[in-house]
Amino acid sequence: MAKLKVATGLLQGCFGCHMALLDLHEDLIPLLVALDIVRSPINDVKEVPEVDLGILDGSVCNTENEALAKEFRKKSKKILALGTCATLGGINGLRNLYDLDAVLKRSYVKNESTVEGTVPSSPVIPRLLPHVKALHQVIDVDYALPGCPPTPGMIATALMDIINNREMKIASKNLCHECTRTHEQMYIPRREFVTDSVTSIMELDEINEDKCFLEQGILCMGPATREGCEARCVKGNTPCRGCMGPGPDALEQGAKMINSLASVLPAGGLMFMEDVVGVGYRYSLPVSIYPHREEK
Amino acid sequence: MNIGLFLSEGDGEISKTVDVKALAAQFSERMPVSVLDSLQNAASHRAIIRQVEDRNLDAVVLAGESPLFYKKTRNGERLLSMLNAAGINPNRLAITNIHEQVALPHRSTPEEATKKAKVLIDVSIEKVLLSKLVDLIEVSPRRSVTVIGTTAAGLFAAQRLLERNFDVDFLDREEVRALNGFRNQTQPTLAAIKNHPKAKFHVSKISDFYGYAGNYRINLEDGKKLRAGGIIVAIGDDLKMTDELYPFLRLERNEKGLFKTLSADTAVTETVQQGIFLIPETPTIAAAISLADSAAMSCDSMLSQNAIRHELFVSEVDEEVCGGCGTCIKTCIFHAAEIDPVKKLSSTNIKRCVGCGNCVSACPTGARDQISGSTAYYLSAIRILSTYKPPSGPRLLYVVCEGCGYPSLDFAGNSGIEYPTGVMPLAVRCAGRLDTQFILEAFKQGFSGVVICKCKDDHCLNIVGNTDLDRRANLFRSVLSSRGISPDRLRIFGVSDCDGASCVTSAVDFMKFLTNMGRA
Repeated sequence: MAKLKVATGLLQGCFGCHMALLDLHEDLIPLLVALDIVRSPINDVKEVPEVDLGILDGSVCNTENEALAKEFRKKSKKILALGTCATLGGINGLRNLYDLDAVLKRSYVKNESTVEGTVPSSPVIPRLLPHVKALHQVIDVDYALPGCPPTPGMIATALMDIINNREMKIASKNLCHECTRTHEQMYIPRREFVTDSVTSIMELDEINEDKCFLEQGILCMGPATREGCEARCVKGNTPCRGCMGPGPDALEQGAKMINSLASVLPAGGLMFMEDVVGVGYRYSLPVSIYPHREEK
Repeated sequence: MNIGLFLSEGDGEISKTVDVKALAAQFSERMPVSVLDSLQNAASHRAIIRQVEDRNLDAVVLAGESPLFYKKTRNGERLLSMLNAAGINPNRLAITNIHEQVALPHRSTPEEATKKAKVLIDVSIEKVLLSKLVDLIEVSPRRSVTVIGTTAAGLFAAQRLLERNFDVDFLDREEVRALNGFRNQTQPTLAAIKNHPKAKFHVSKISDFYGYAGNYRINLEDGKKLRAGGIIVAIGDDLKMTDELYPFLRLERNEKGLFKTLSADTAVTETVQQGIFLIPETPTIAAAISLADSAAMSCDSMLSQNAIRHELFVSEVDEEVCGGCGTCIKTCIFHAAEIDPVKKLSSTNIKRCVGCGNCVSACPTGARDQISGSTAYYLSAIRILSTYKPPSGPRLLYVVCEGCGYPSLDFAGNSGIEYPTGVMPLAVRCAGRLDTQFILEAFKQGFSGVVICKCKDDHCLNIVGNTDLDRRANLFRSVLSSRGISPDRLRIFGVSDCDGASCVTSAVDFMKFLTNMGRA
């Protein structure tokens, strides 16, 4: 069988998804029997050759990202959006809560470490787009794999599905399904909040390792987040941050989480303790129903 | 799907304002359309059924009087059951209100009223297109009745039922409260009932209540379990007991907070719950007796049927998506959401589910959906409603709950109050069904403002729907601000049933506020 020719590229991202691919270590070898990575930031090839599969990591934030994405689409038979930034817009997307002018001024002019700063305007620097976008909002995408980053295992499974021309399956239930923490309150059919108060994780000396975070008054995005990440964060005693994005039947993550939290945790505490918007839309703002600040 | 559209001229009331003929011409390109002089008379009903049979229709859209008319009158009920018999599933029938909510309140702007009517009919067509078939079950009625309240009226109703061979259970806080009032008049009846082998008295309170008309289960605090085909409530003006019963019986309440019947003149003992009858407080014993007779008679004719049909308008769970977080368990006040802790999968107990949709809003994954109004339908409806552009002034998405908001808006139309056409009504089952995602969608579609008109405190037929909406909306306001949408553009207010004036005043005030904000 001819090897599948693959190109990978980085848009606006942290390189984490590429690192996750490398984290496959020796498990990369069987993949490389079937794949030929001809272009990648790892092997430092700049041009995009004609390939069977183009893999893009990162969200589309500036004109350079946009051009590279379009170039990839032109040269690739299939496109895989790899990771949360490419699939959902990712954490970069939180920039959409502000006008572009305000973002640039905050970074270059009104920054604590800047004296008489100006917004760079050199023609060689790519310009920021008005809004951060997920890859499918710019080009057609054939496969999408969320995760910040996806686990090496998820990447390997997805690539094997693509190589074998199978439908790429991603989990459809929420993280609670995968989470092994125990419940005392959530399953009791009584109209009561599961805790009296909401606590910030920063303020706790000790977090119970076996008990549902919500029942400890800690805001966990698990209920509104797709499973499939092997519940790494909750196993590491950290509440879910929602990087896998909303499930297939939810339109968006933030509003759904708010609907749900209103039944579970005392609202007053939530508003006081947490940045509900930042938490709810941390990874998926560009694909939400209202994906950016209202145009003036 | 083969949809037929039936337009009513409302005996001239609708066609005076809305150009029904023009509407018929527009829609006839897409589906069979019939124009009838009214949807209320026997001849039109026969005409509708004939069309359904001749044209082999499997869905029907009726555009005319308010859907409440079909629920509250014998005539309307009859049409619905005829349609059912002709093979139209209840979810394949949509009713567009172009009378109370278009023709009457927009009398002075007929052209705009016609455009708005078209959009509302489009929403109904979308509703049947996106609907899933609803299952029907048949319950064989039990020949037993629980009479709540041992008032004189309760005793007289029970006496009638005992004569007709029903088992009767009395339930009250005290043994026989009738003796406090009309002692002389009730003493003989009481004696007869006390000795009757089929009558039992229980002094306790309800701890759990569920089931359908024809077969209710009533668990008492003292551990006794009653079963009843029908229930007659005869507690007079006992407000304390009304408060206790309200979370179980889910009856409408009047301004004083007491339970009320469907209508004060034509449905004097029927309530919104098919199997529960109410004998309202009366000043004289004669009136009490006649109402008691009426209640007993209604109860008897309901329970003498071979079978009572129930539409299972419940919440359903997408098993591929539910991960067992338990949010629905914490949300449902009726204990209808159940969970398998091992499989981590929630399910709906159809005997308990009232179909309010509160769990559907709460479900963080979208695994739950409502059979009578799916998320896809509401989103689509919001998009279609946004296609109407009023000639001037702001455009409001006016969400009304079926409990209090909808009747109030109807009442406004009936009382001759006019308001701008930019008020676009969207009926939801209960305020608790209002997923905050819909609010975002409305702003995305360019509505100037969103109004949610819900039942005021302690009037929600689903007990907590109105307060759960408040909880969600309060948290949600920060999301609106984060998008640069002023949270003031979302307004929520509670009305009591048939408070048309305040319903419209609030909308008009809000429109002025939005205009001043520059949101016209």
